[in-house]
Amino acid sequence: MTLKCGVVIRSLVSMVVLFTTTFHASAQVDSRRVEAVAGLLEELTETYGVSGDEQRVRAVVERHLPAWAKPRVDESGNLWVRVGQGDPVVVFIAHMDEVGFQVTELLDDGSLQIRQRGGFYPHLWEATPAFVHTAETRVPGIFMPRDEHQVTPTRRPPTGFRVSVGMSSRAATEALGVRLGDTVTNPKEFVRLAGTRATARSFDDRAGSTAQLVALQSLDLNALDHEVIFIWSTEEEVGLIGATAVADNLGFTPARVHAVDTFVSSAAPVDRQNFAFTPLGQGPVARGLDSSSVTPRAIIDGLLELVDGHNLPLQLGATNGGTDGTPFRNWGIPHMPIGWPLRYSHSPIELMDLHDLVVLSDLIQLIAEEW
Amino acid sequence: MSYQLLRSALIVAFLLAPYPLTAQTAATLSEQFIEMTAVTGYEQTAAEQLLAMLPGTTLDRAGNVVGVLGAGTPVRLLVCPLDEVGYVVGRITDDGYLRLRRVGVGIPNLFDQGLEGHRVTVWSATKATPGVVSIPSTHLGRGRASMPDIPFDVDDAYVDIGANSANEVQQLGIRLLDAVALAKRPHRYGENLLAGPEAGRRAGCAALAQTYLDQPDVDGTVVITFVVESHLRHAGLLVVSRQLGPFASTWFINYDPPERIIDERFGAIKHSDVPVQFSETAVETINLEEVETLTTQISAEIKKHP
Repeated sequence: MTLKCGVVIRSLVSMVVLFTTTFHASAQVDSRRVEAVAGLLEELTETYGVSGDEQRVRAVVERHLPAWAKPRVDESGNLWVRVGQGDPVVVFIAHMDEVGFQVTELLDDGSLQIRQRGGFYPHLWEATPAFVHTAETRVPGIFMPRDEHQVTPTRRPPTGFRVSVGMSSRAATEALGVRLGDTVTNPKEFVRLAGTRATARSFDDRAGSTAQLVALQSLDLNALDHEVIFIWSTEEEVGLIGATAVADNLGFTPARVHAVDTFVSSAAPVDRQNFAFTPLGQGPVARGLDSSSVTPRAIIDGLLELVDGHNLPLQLGATNGGTDGTPFRNWGIPHMPIGWPLRYSHSPIELMDLHDLVVLSDLIQLIAEEW
Repeated sequence: MSYQLLRSALIVAFLLAPYPLTAQTAATLSEQFIEMTAVTGYEQTAAEQLLAMLPGTTLDRAGNVVGVLGAGTPVRLLVCPLDEVGYVVGRITDDGYLRLRRVGVGIPNLFDQGLEGHRVTVWSATKATPGVVSIPSTHLGRGRASMPDIPFDVDDAYVDIGANSANEVQQLGIRLLDAVALAKRPHRYGENLLAGPEAGRRAGCAALAQTYLDQPDVDGTVVITFVVESHLRHAGLLVVSRQLGPFASTWFINYDPPERIIDERFGAIKHSDVPVQFSETAVETINLEEVETLTTQISAEIKKHP
């Protein structure tokens, strides 16, 4: 989920009554489905793909597509799968990229100057292990602690920080294959917590990518009487770049778009809870409002009407950030983002409930087949 | 990695290590030591791992791990600190979060900040449970007052293990005073570099462990100890001195206790360190060649000379 948030949007957020509602009690989910979705999510979250460097993630998605799918990759690196024919054309879009860093300079002492790709608190990366993702491999290193680490009185590094790959000259670093533009992350690990909770970095939006995959795998093609387009997009975190290309390509064609992305939840001990309060484990979330998109009440009501009677738990809320659905608004396409509640967004320890992800995949399938 | 049986798995991993154990290099041992958790006063799990790793070693009344080479005089002591500054569960909230209390002294300003937004392990009696330390969601901070630019403090920490209630926490076997520490992930990089919390002290202990595993023919008696509570009041070291001393000499490895507790029972004092970069951070870095060098140096000095 991107972090574009202008003054106007912030004002809008502050003026609107912000609320969340749980429409159903949590539905029972087969534990085997939870384990299946966990396996796919683990594979996707442990694959690296900072914005603009998503090819490894795309390869995993492609590997898990159903045999009948005919994927296409466009010039922006977005992965398309089109199913069914006829109107109304409905688009689902989840992004493949994750926040991270990019090498901007190789310094004489062998260390690397870096810049942020996406919005996050950079101090969380200070003094942690690193991987530099080169064309051929990944080179281990560390995000260097600030020089004055032992005495500094500030949370944020006063002068930023660099990456060391353990070399003492630019030539030695280059010999490892490190080049300008290479992306940099910390190591990632998918870890199960209590019950059906899990933590990893880049659930945003590997969980959305997973939900789309699971829904596509389950889709009843015979039930489709219209066209549905599934997109796995690029460079969402740095300005919705892939999604903008998709929206411009489709123009006025879609009847509706659903970004499948994180719903940043305030149901956490260190966030203010006057909005975005969507407890984990109580189902996916329909996002009525965020920092760059407002969904018309009629569209929201249409979704609520759809899920009513299908025993799908669905929460409704407003949160911050934006999604890949936003560029479609520039073509007048109605946008109903859906997602799952996530704690600790854009941090190394994003946390979610796998139950919500299973139900989210059901919701995508239901929308595709019946709305 | 399964955390449910992590502690048992670690011990089994040591027991199943290829024989002879002496084939392990100090470098490999350094990774194993850095992976251990031994919060000051709560070193029992690490001590159990060491007992399994080093056949013939014993626990003394303080909880130090002690190995003896040779017999007779002179009696020399080799000592490294096993413990680390860490945390214990100070409170379990009604909604299932853990609050923390720091254990140990002498930390830099940003030590607690290493917790924020990172994974930790809760070490209870029966298992190791993963958790994370909460961080405000980046998105929800937008358009609001920015995060204060003062270092994160342990009093700000909420550990989220995925539970919804205090009852769920208890069902997971977690109790007040269980030890909590950063999840340990030793990280190799560069040419022979190894990073991790307390890397220097742990590598010093690895050098001692390798020395013990080599079982050299020594002159007199060499007592090798991995002591507890160096970050509190050095009780582990004092017990070694009083129980097994006096010593003809004491060789401190990556351990610099205050002069006030060093008396004549320690004999002649010598210090050696595995040098570190990025000291007292979660990426404290050692050069593995220097661990090998120290191991060689220790062996040469304690071996019986013809």
